[in-house]
Amino acid sequence: MGLPCAPRPLCWRAVTETAPAPAVSAASQAPAIEVRGLVKRYGEVEALRGIDLTVEAGERFALLGPNGAGKTTLFSILATLRAPTEGGARVLGRDVVAERDAVRREMGIVFQEPAIEQQLSGRDNLLLMGLLYGLTTPAARRRADEILGQLGLADSAGRPAKTLSGGQRRKLELARALVTDPRILFLDEATLGLDVEGRRGFWGHVRGLAAAGRTVFFTTHYMEEAEVADRIALIDAGRIVALDTPRALKSRLGGGVIRLQTEDDTQARAWLTERGLAPEPGTAELMLLHADPAAVLPELLRHLPVKVRRAEVHEPSLEDVFLKLTGRKLGADAPAEKAGGWRGGKGGRGRP
Amino acid sequence: MMLRGIYAIVVLDMKRFWLNRARLFAGLAQPLLYLFVLGAGIGASMGGRMGGGNYQPFIFPGVLGLSQLFTATFAAITIVFDRQIGFFKAVLVSPVPRPAIAIGKIAAGALQAFLQGVVVLPFAWIAQVPFTVGSTIALLGAMALASITFSALGVAVAARFTSTTVFPIVSNAVLLPMYFLSGAMFPLDMAPPWMKVAVFFDPVAYAVDLMRGALLGRFYFNPWLSLGALAVIITLLTWVAVRIFNRGEDDSSLGATNFNWRR
Repeated sequence: MGLPCAPRPLCWRAVTETAPAPAVSAASQAPAIEVRGLVKRYGEVEALRGIDLTVEAGERFALLGPNGAGKTTLFSILATLRAPTEGGARVLGRDVVAERDAVRREMGIVFQEPAIEQQLSGRDNLLLMGLLYGLTTPAARRRADEILGQLGLADSAGRPAKTLSGGQRRKLELARALVTDPRILFLDEATLGLDVEGRRGFWGHVRGLAAAGRTVFFTTHYMEEAEVADRIALIDAGRIVALDTPRALKSRLGGGVIRLQTEDDTQARAWLTERGLAPEPGTAELMLLHADPAAVLPELLRHLPVKVRRAEVHEPSLEDVFLKLTGRKLGADAPAEKAGGWRGGKGGRGRP
Repeated sequence: MMLRGIYAIVVLDMKRFWLNRARLFAGLAQPLLYLFVLGAGIGASMGGRMGGGNYQPFIFPGVLGLSQLFTATFAAITIVFDRQIGFFKAVLVSPVPRPAIAIGKIAAGALQAFLQGVVVLPFAWIAQVPFTVGSTIALLGAMALASITFSALGVAVAARFTSTTVFPIVSNAVLLPMYFLSGAMFPLDMAPPWMKVAVFFDPVAYAVDLMRGALLGRFYFNPWLSLGALAVIITLLTWVAVRIFNRGEDDSSLGATNFNWRR
């Protein structure tokens, strides 16, 4: 079953290294999220193929991967919406299956799709959420006003949700998730469809929430959003291929990235390989990793036997890391079933 | 948590209902059409051969039932809508027990159906229905029971559907036969034998008969049989609805194997 963690030293963090947490109860000492040997099958399809993961309390943790990689499945299991086929997951020290209701009481979720009642006002939406979580009407009302104030929604809270702007509506989703003062917040593509400014505003609030000690676990398509995470798990074809801080992930590539578009990529690739420059295999475009790309590029351009249309040198991005690890772009859809499974033992090791 | 959950669901639905309160009056069109056009026409052509005199007073409880039945069904459709907009998901990840969602939905639908019936009630006066304080109170009781029955019926059916286009078709295929069979528009004493048998399996028949009996003192079934039958039907349908909601959208309630953390 589950993939052994040993060949990927970075995916396993010793719990004892982290800052001492105030000892309140057993549950509060437990990691925010603990996943062991998690497998999820839908009939024949194996959506998750053995996930092991620990997220510390107070961490901002991003789950990154192409569509179909298993992000949503993992997210749904942690959010108690689906049950694992094998293995287990604990949120705040509680089993997501056996202690489902206890988990639900302590978490807040923002879904990808809207989950507010559009006809009702923001205030009414929050009031209802409070009631659903067992608050009394006056308590729910007080809490709703408090959160609306915090998120700067107080002025528009009386209007039907459908009349709000996209950004305000997303903030209202966040407000909805916060009604019960959750210790852990799950965000699934929470800013999908927002413009840059809307996203910035949204993450400003999330950062504040994390600073207040809440754990934030999120999935996203936007690279710059993933960068706010303390740690990122790259997931592909149902497995975690890398797990580290954004900086450490990028430094795995070492140096920088050269991207080339030529008139004949196949020939260029062969030529580069001959010279020992080893372009990354499998990718649609020519991508080279090099310790000093700016120095090597002029050389390359002079000697390459095919005409270069476009050359680019940049710092490695998370996108590049993913490409390097999986041979595919983050934005691309994962193939339904990957022939031969995982590309052997590449994940987790830096450049040779 | 259970009671509070039911309360939350009822508050949600009643808030939405109140936003669309104009529907209470739009909802009058159909029953009044039955009462004053269909009822007047058929009544006149039968020339008072309806046993108990006038036709309009006879069908009045049936028309009440109709408006309640359709209001309850419409309320149940919101389950299908909620599922599509994702609001339901937020409810499903809350700690509210699944049965509370089903029961809350039934309660809210029943409340709306009852209110719709109350709005139709004053037209009894125009239809020359004789009534006293006592019969009105008895009628309100019967209306409440009918509303709960219809709502439970609607929720039990709607809980299975995820498409708003399919549900109305199915509900029409189920509800209209039930309604026509119920003796709402004609006395069952003169019905053909097969119908007299079939009517025993029609929840709408008991509800309408109870309302008619309360108002006109004219029962087809023994009222105790109706009361008992409705109680059984409500319990059964609620149980069905709860079962369906228990299965829910998610599979985390399917009793997946518990992970042994101490291994």
